[in-house]
Amino acid sequence: MGLNRVGKALTAALLLVTGTAWGAEINGRSSTQFLWYNNEFTENRVFEAAEYLRVGVTKIDTAGKLSFYGYGRAAQSIGEDYDTTARLYYFYADYRDLFDKVDLKMGRQFVNNSAGSAIIDGLQVDLKNVGPVGFTLFGGRDVVFGLSGEAGYAWNTDLGISAYLTDMKKTDAEISWLRKFVKGDTARDTIGLSAKQYLLNSIKLYGNARFDLVSETFNEVQGGIKYFPTSDLVFTAEYYQSYPTFDTTSIYSVFAVNEYQEGVFRIDYALNDRISLNLGYNRQGYGEGAAANVYHAGVGIRPVDQLKLNVEYDNRQGYYGSTNGVIVDADYQINKDAQVSGGITYDVYQRDTLTNDETARRYWIGGKYRFAKNMALSGRIQEDVNARYTENVSGRLTFDYDF
Amino acid sequence: MLLMMSVLYVQQAAAQRQNHKEYADSKISDCNSCHKAEGIAPNHDGDWIRNHRTLAGKSGSNCAQCHDQSYCLDCHKGGGINADLTLDTFGRDYVPKSHRSDFVNLHPIKALDNPQTCYRCHDQKYCTQCHDRFPKGSLRIKSHLPSGSGQSFIWSSEHSTEARRNLQSCQTCHPEGDVCLRCHSAKSGPMVNPHPKSFKGGNISSRTNKTCRVCH
Repeated sequence: MGLNRVGKALTAALLLVTGTAWGAEINGRSSTQFLWYNNEFTENRVFEAAEYLRVGVTKIDTAGKLSFYGYGRAAQSIGEDYDTTARLYYFYADYRDLFDKVDLKMGRQFVNNSAGSAIIDGLQVDLKNVGPVGFTLFGGRDVVFGLSGEAGYAWNTDLGISAYLTDMKKTDAEISWLRKFVKGDTARDTIGLSAKQYLLNSIKLYGNARFDLVSETFNEVQGGIKYFPTSDLVFTAEYYQSYPTFDTTSIYSVFAVNEYQEGVFRIDYALNDRISLNLGYNRQGYGEGAAANVYHAGVGIRPVDQLKLNVEYDNRQGYYGSTNGVIVDADYQINKDAQVSGGITYDVYQRDTLTNDETARRYWIGGKYRFAKNMALSGRIQEDVNARYTENVSGRLTFDYDF
Repeated sequence: MLLMMSVLYVQQAAAQRQNHKEYADSKISDCNSCHKAEGIAPNHDGDWIRNHRTLAGKSGSNCAQCHDQSYCLDCHKGGGINADLTLDTFGRDYVPKSHRSDFVNLHPIKALDNPQTCYRCHDQKYCTQCHDRFPKGSLRIKSHLPSGSGQSFIWSSEHSTEARRNLQSCQTCHPEGDVCLRCHSAKSGPMVNPHPKSFKGGNISSRTNKTCRVCH
């Protein structure tokens, strides 16, 4: 979507709202940003100004049922890679409690059910208060964001239906269907299942499955258990498998593929308000004997109230290569209005097509100052040193205004 | 299934779900203490980013009681209106912490940690748009490398195994599959059958009349 269309849509909506709804409440955020970075494709330096705007208009009618929500970004770069882009993330009218049974959302919005998710230009209808089962229907033009601008075709369409339990405190279950049309052909046809159950005050069972009606296989299956003897200690064991599926309009939909499988084991433990730990192990299988092991360890420390430290270590060994790296972040709250932050990422990796280890380092520092309750200025500068760059500096300066 | 569960758990109907809107600004530790007391698993814990899909992805989730859609889309679609200082950008788009250090070089390995993960945020077109900018043959892919010092390539012995394990990556550089069809078309070449054993061709031809005709 071009800048003009985004601008016109937002302006028209704001005029409509301000012109007709004097009692309405308008709130949101404006974020004005200046970014500088290296264009990965042209190797040119890019300086860019971007404006993010998020607006919510509520209490338009006396019953407070109608609201508008919008969020978009316009950006203008200068220099050799002169470019103007815009991205409208969502812009929809939300009407709730029609006959106390129906919620409606119309416009660009993020929709999802257990069979999949999408951004659509269309309509979502939620039917509620009709017993223990609720229903959701959505449909509209499929919106795909590419590297610059939208990448989808004008009339690609998504259609989804779901039925789900609504009132049970310890049980969730949903069955759904999602169909995607590409240039008039049915490209995807997926049945989704999702369930969750709490047991014995300390166990959670959960699962999600997506059945592809075209290949008649499960595109994804996930099943897990969480055991939480206390609110600070959680053990997780999970199985996941996936089978790659493709749009029917793609020639890749006719090719044979392998199933991917993984088992996840994880412990999350908050010792106290100052220290939290997590440990994870992930066994991955790619078929025909290919496998990998992934280990993860993380710690969050707050030695004093003002200081937060996070350290994460990840190690992957096996099929297609290895990675071994650490992320360290620190955040210091100088006072209620000012904070400084910084961090290092250090990764050593080897792809099986390379003969030696490669190293990637990232250093960054940033700060934020709050001028007033609704105004803040922040900045961040970063340096990357890796196989592609001996020096690559990027950063941003941001002014946020809440209204 | 839904009706069965309705019957099995009918006693739960009296214990209605809590509306969380008024707790939106609570500390997570307070949320989890309350959850534990009610027999509900702590969430927004250290595993939340990896694990939130099952809860957030379903219809009727209660995420919207505390979060607006920008909270989801900033992470999933590159927005930056809520970005904290730890977040990096790729060009103008903000990226989550999973896109660590030199992600351009690391992503072929990271993309294998659950191959569906990339597609939760990126359409396949996104991959193609980026890879299209590199000359064909300039990327270091094992099955595409020369074998020894001669003119033969690892390709001939390993491409089928590699393709079955990670066919989505083939589509990244060859979106139309033209290079595959040199050998796998029924119209010309060696006519090697690429279909899986339990191939449901009728399910494809009933939905589109184009794909089968590419080779037949």
